[in-house]
Amino acid sequence: MSQVGLDHAASIPQQARPILLSVQELQVWFELRRFGFGHAGYVHAVDGVSFDLAEGEAVAIVGESGCGKSSLMKAILGLYKPTSGRILFQGQDIHQFSKERKRWYHSRVGYVQQDPFGALPPFMPVRRILEEPLIISGVKNKNERMERIRKSMEEVKLSPVEDFIEKYPHMLSGGQQQRVVIARAMITEPKLLVADEPVSMLDASVRVEILKLLRALQERHNLSVIYITHDLSTVSYFSERIFVMYAGRLIEKAPVHRLIDHPAHPYTQALLTGTSEPDARNALSYKEVPPGEPPSLVKPPQGCRFHPRCVRMIGGECDVNEPPEFTVADRHTVSCWLYK
Amino acid sequence: MAQVTLSSGIQTYQKKSAANTLSRLLRYSAVRLVTLFLTVVVGVYLTILIANMGGYVDEILRGEIRENISASVFQNPAYRSYDVEEKKKLAESLIAQEEERLGLNQPFLIRSLSFLKNALTLNFGRALNMTSDSGSRQVSLILLERLPPTLVLFGTSNLLLFFSSVLLALTLSRHYGSWADKLIVALSPTSAAPPWFYGIFLILIFAAWLRVLPFGGMVSAPPPTNPLEYAMDLLVHMILPASALFLSSIFLSIYNWRTFFLIYSSEDYVEMAKAKGLSPRDIERRYILRPTLPTIVTSFALLVISLWTGAIITETVFNWPGLGRTLYRAIGLFDTPVIVASTIIFAYLLAITVFILDFIYALLDPRVKIGSAQ
Repeated sequence: MSQVGLDHAASIPQQARPILLSVQELQVWFELRRFGFGHAGYVHAVDGVSFDLAEGEAVAIVGESGCGKSSLMKAILGLYKPTSGRILFQGQDIHQFSKERKRWYHSRVGYVQQDPFGALPPFMPVRRILEEPLIISGVKNKNERMERIRKSMEEVKLSPVEDFIEKYPHMLSGGQQQRVVIARAMITEPKLLVADEPVSMLDASVRVEILKLLRALQERHNLSVIYITHDLSTVSYFSERIFVMYAGRLIEKAPVHRLIDHPAHPYTQALLTGTSEPDARNALSYKEVPPGEPPSLVKPPQGCRFHPRCVRMIGGECDVNEPPEFTVADRHTVSCWLYK
Repeated sequence: MAQVTLSSGIQTYQKKSAANTLSRLLRYSAVRLVTLFLTVVVGVYLTILIANMGGYVDEILRGEIRENISASVFQNPAYRSYDVEEKKKLAESLIAQEEERLGLNQPFLIRSLSFLKNALTLNFGRALNMTSDSGSRQVSLILLERLPPTLVLFGTSNLLLFFSSVLLALTLSRHYGSWADKLIVALSPTSAAPPWFYGIFLILIFAAWLRVLPFGGMVSAPPPTNPLEYAMDLLVHMILPASALFLSSIFLSIYNWRTFFLIYSSEDYVEMAKAKGLSPRDIERRYILRPTLPTIVTSFALLVISLWTGAIITETVFNWPGLGRTLYRAIGLFDTPVIVASTIIFAYLLAITVFILDFIYALLDPRVKIGSAQ
C-alpha cells in the first residue's frame, strides 16, 4: 500500500513529518472452537488494515461497535498478536521487539480508555497510579518521579496537586478521573496516544473540556493520536484525517472536512446522515441509519463487505470482487467499486 | 498571616474530623455488636427449641424416669413387704423428687429460657447421657476432648484445599481456554457428591481391597507410645479421610476461584496494566489478587471457623473421634446440652468473625468506610 504514503507526500505540510507508525496489511483473527475442541472458523476482527501515521498527526477511526476498532487498537498497543501483517513503530516491527525494547515501546505509547472509573484501579491512590508507569519505564529516583507526577498533574489541570494526589479514584468526579487517566498515559512522555472513545462516558459539559485538553497536549508535545470513536460529531475537534472502519477493514480514508463534505463510500454517507451536530434543532430531525445489521465477522460477505446493506450495490461486481482502494481526491481514498 | 490562620484552621478541622471518625467508629461498633448479639440469641433459641423438639425431649425424659424408678421400686427386694398401693405411692414420690432435681417439674417454656441464659453465658452444664473419655459429664470437657482430632483432620485438609485451589485457580485464569482449564470445568460437577461418598469408595479400594490403609479411626489399637510412631500412625489414618474431603471439593473450588479471578482480570485497569508493560506476575499480584483480597480473606476466615463443626457424616464413616461424630451421637441420644453448646460456640465464633471482617474490609478496600451509611 504505497498509495497511502504517496498521499502524505503530496500534501504540503505533511511533507516534513516522518512516519511514526505504519500498519501494514494487518490481520487479527481469533480462532473459534466448537465444544471447546473442534475448529469452527475464525473471527476476522481486523482483516487487512493498512495506514501510516505521521509524527504529530491525529487520526480518528470511526465505525459501528463490533467493526474491529478495539482489536485494531489492542494490536497497536501490543496486547494482541497479529495473525499476519506488521506494525512498524519508527520503522521497527513492534511484535519482534525484545523484552527490553517492548518495555520501551510501552512507554512510548499512551492509552486512554473509555470508562475512566474502570480504567483506574480502585485500591490505588492517584500518586500510586501515576507512579507505576514511571517505575516500569525505569525511573529509579523517587524525587524525580514525584516531580514528574506533579508536572503531569498540573498539565492535565489537576491542581492544586495536593488536593488530588492522595485521593482514591472513587473520590473524584468523572472528568477528574479521565484527567488522571490522561495524566497516566502522558507521564512517560509518549510519542503516540491511543484514545478509545475517551469522552463517550462523560457528561456533555465535561466532554468539550477533555477534548480541548487532548488537543492542547497533542499540540504541545507534537503527539500522534489515534482517536477511536463511533461519534462523528466529536471527531473534528482534533483529528486531521478520518478512517472509516467497517467489518474489519478501513473502507474510506480522508481529511476530516473532505470526508464530512464529500463522503464517497455509501456506508460513510449513511453514517453521516445518521450523525447530528450537537444542536437542539437536530433533536427532532429524522435520521436515516444504514439498514440491516453489521455483518458476521466469522463469515464476512464475499466481495465488498457492505454490499448486503448497500443501496447502490452493483450486481455481479460488489458481491463477487473485493474492491481495492481508489483515490477520489487528494489524500482521499475509498474502497468502493462505484469509483472504479 | 493569612496562611497561618489557614493552616491552624486546617489543623482544628483535622482534629475535629479525627474525633468524628472515632465517635462514628464507636457508634458503629456498638450498633453492630448489639445486632450481632441479637442474631446469636435468636439463632441459639431456635436451636434450643429444635434440639428439644419443642419440649418433646422433656416428655421422653419423664417417661424414662418413670419407667426406671417404677421398675427399681417394684423389683427392689427391700420393698417386698409393701403392698401395691404403697409401692406406687413410693414410686410417685421418688419420680417427683427426680423430676424436681432435673427441673422437669417446670413448663418447657420457662426451662427453654433458662437454657438460653446458660448457653449465652457459656455455662454448658452437664450432659444427659454422654460422658467424656475420662468419664466426666461436663459438656465443655466432652467438646474440648473432641476438638483436637477435628482440628488435625479438617485443619490439614481445608488449608491444603484452600491454598491449592486459590493458587491453581490463579494460574488457570491466566490460561483461560487451555486444556487444563477445560478439564477442571468438566470435573467441577464431581463436587456435587459429599465427602463421605468419596470416603466409602476410598475405604472400599484402599482398605478392603488393596488393604494398604486402615478402615477408620484415628490411631491403631493399642496406640503407639513413641511420639514419632504415634504421629506416623495418625498420618496413615488421616490419608483416607483427608483425601475424601479434598477430592470432594477441590474441582469446584478451583472452578469458583478461577471464574472469580477471570472476572477481575477482564477489568479495564488490568488491560491498562498490560498495555503499560507490567509483567504477568506483577499484574497477578497487584491488579488481581489485591482487589480480590477482601473476598479471599472472608472465605479464609469462614473456613477457619467452620473447623469447629467438623463434618458429621464423614467423621462417622471414618470413625473419626471428632466434634462432628460427637454431635451425631448427641442428636441420636437427645443430649440437648451437647447440641446447644456446640451451636452456641459456632454462633459466637461466626458473630465475632463477621464483626472483625467489617473492619478488615475497611482496611483493605479504600472504598469501604465503616459506618458511613449512618
